[in-house]
Amino acid sequence: MKAAFSVEDLSFRYPSSKEDTIRRISFEVYEGEIFGLLGPSGAGKSTIQKILIKLLGNYRGTIKYFGKDLNSLSNSYYEEIGVGFEVPVHFSKLTALENMKFFSGFYKKRANIQELMERVGLWEYRNVKVAEFSKGMKVRLNFVRAMLNHPRVLFLDEVTNGLDPKNARIIKDMIAEYRAGGGTVFLTTHLMNDVEQLCDRIVFCVDGRLVETSTPRDLKLKYGKREVKVEYRKNGNIESAIFPLDGIGFNNEFQDLLRSGKVETIHSCETSMEEIFILVTGVDLK
Amino acid sequence: MKNLLKLTAGELARLVRYKILPVSLVTSVIWIVLFLYLPENEALEVAPLLIIVDVTVMSVLLLGASHHLEKQEGTIKTMMVMPVTLGQILAAKTASSMILALESAAVTSAALFFIHKISFNYAVLFLFVLIAAAAHAAIGFALSLKSRDFTGMLVLLVGYMFLFTIPSFLFNIGLIDEKYEWLLMLSPSHSASRLIISAVTGNFDAVLTVTGSLYLAILTAALFKFAVYPGFKDNAIRG
Repeated sequence: MKAAFSVEDLSFRYPSSKEDTIRRISFEVYEGEIFGLLGPSGAGKSTIQKILIKLLGNYRGTIKYFGKDLNSLSNSYYEEIGVGFEVPVHFSKLTALENMKFFSGFYKKRANIQELMERVGLWEYRNVKVAEFSKGMKVRLNFVRAMLNHPRVLFLDEVTNGLDPKNARIIKDMIAEYRAGGGTVFLTTHLMNDVEQLCDRIVFCVDGRLVETSTPRDLKLKYGKREVKVEYRKNGNIESAIFPLDGIGFNNEFQDLLRSGKVETIHSCETSMEEIFILVTGVDLK
Repeated sequence: MKNLLKLTAGELARLVRYKILPVSLVTSVIWIVLFLYLPENEALEVAPLLIIVDVTVMSVLLLGASHHLEKQEGTIKTMMVMPVTLGQILAAKTASSMILALESAAVTSAALFFIHKISFNYAVLFLFVLIAAAAHAAIGFALSLKSRDFTGMLVLLVGYMFLFTIPSFLFNIGLIDEKYEWLLMLSPSHSASRLIISAVTGNFDAVLTVTGSLYLAILTAALFKFAVYPGFKDNAIRG
């Protein structure tokens, strides 16, 4: 698989800081995958993203973008990437369409603004000033802004934060379609639901270091309990029992319960992504 | 060049939408009304002062307002990830500020002509207005970047005016002796004032005019290179 980004031994220190914010990290983001960068606040996620989108320079180590040194790339790099910031980034006194037309005008490759805005449900509000938009509408417009140039790599920061489930689903579907079309996504988020539904691979960033890189499925297997929880009805009450997953086909007690016809639910006791986040980073999401 | 034109057009469009250009025009209209009630000789004395106020104070104020609004909206950050350079973004903002200053000088000049039939070398005036406006755009940026919000910027501007603009004004109304003019030339406000008064009245002191022009040009370059450019980038990244 071709690497969109190869990061090797990356360290970064802000001029005002005595210590490195990013400490000798290495990772690869493959073309056509959704790569999630997770971690608690202040872990260095935003700094890594700012370095990759060339807002921050003067880093140590090497970063290659499709084999080319990131430092050697000119501003034409921005023709290839789309950046969706977490906070709204629009001219509030201009309408949504005026904003999109202004930003779109600087790119050689231009996406169809109407199609994008229709998809996220904003086309009917195209002539409304952004100042009158709700938070969710601004988040959706941020996503459209990031997609304006048919980017090869999409950077998204908390892309569904503040969206209702229906609109979050639309954005996630669009991201999945973008990936299916060969696009690469670098996703920064603390919303574990997004991680589970979108990411092919994730990496946890803690205190400027990367502590765990894997797929959501492998992480769930690694940190999960190999058990099955069964809820069943007994004498009118709901009761539950836990059985080891290994050898469950030969577990007589489990088999008897199944045959009794009183089973109401069966759940494998896999660890949730939230629990994994807490286990890996040592920080509660709440 | 194409990007610079697009950025400048965007800046000007936003100046209208954010009511900055209309406010500047209203100020010019106030000056016109003033000219209607002033005799010709007094109008000629007051006109350069009005242009000076517009170029040295109003332009800094309007630039600060626009900068802090954009900072609040986060738009500077998103412009930094477009295929344009930071130099182009700053040049477009400076150009729009210069156009604003030119508009004010043009309206004042037109009012003088149509009300009192006073005319002067407009090309020289507009050239000097552009030089002064560029320097004050750089000063406006520097003050905006040093302040947390628009109120903080106003405080800095008042301090700047006490130090540089008011002494120049006192000189222009004869309260400071002429022998101190060379010292006053260190004030960007006074250098701008010297150039604009010379253009309107036609009384040029060659050495002071050249010195004023060079000083403002060097100050503009130095401020952009050492204060505005690095500060702007840092500000945009931090949001």
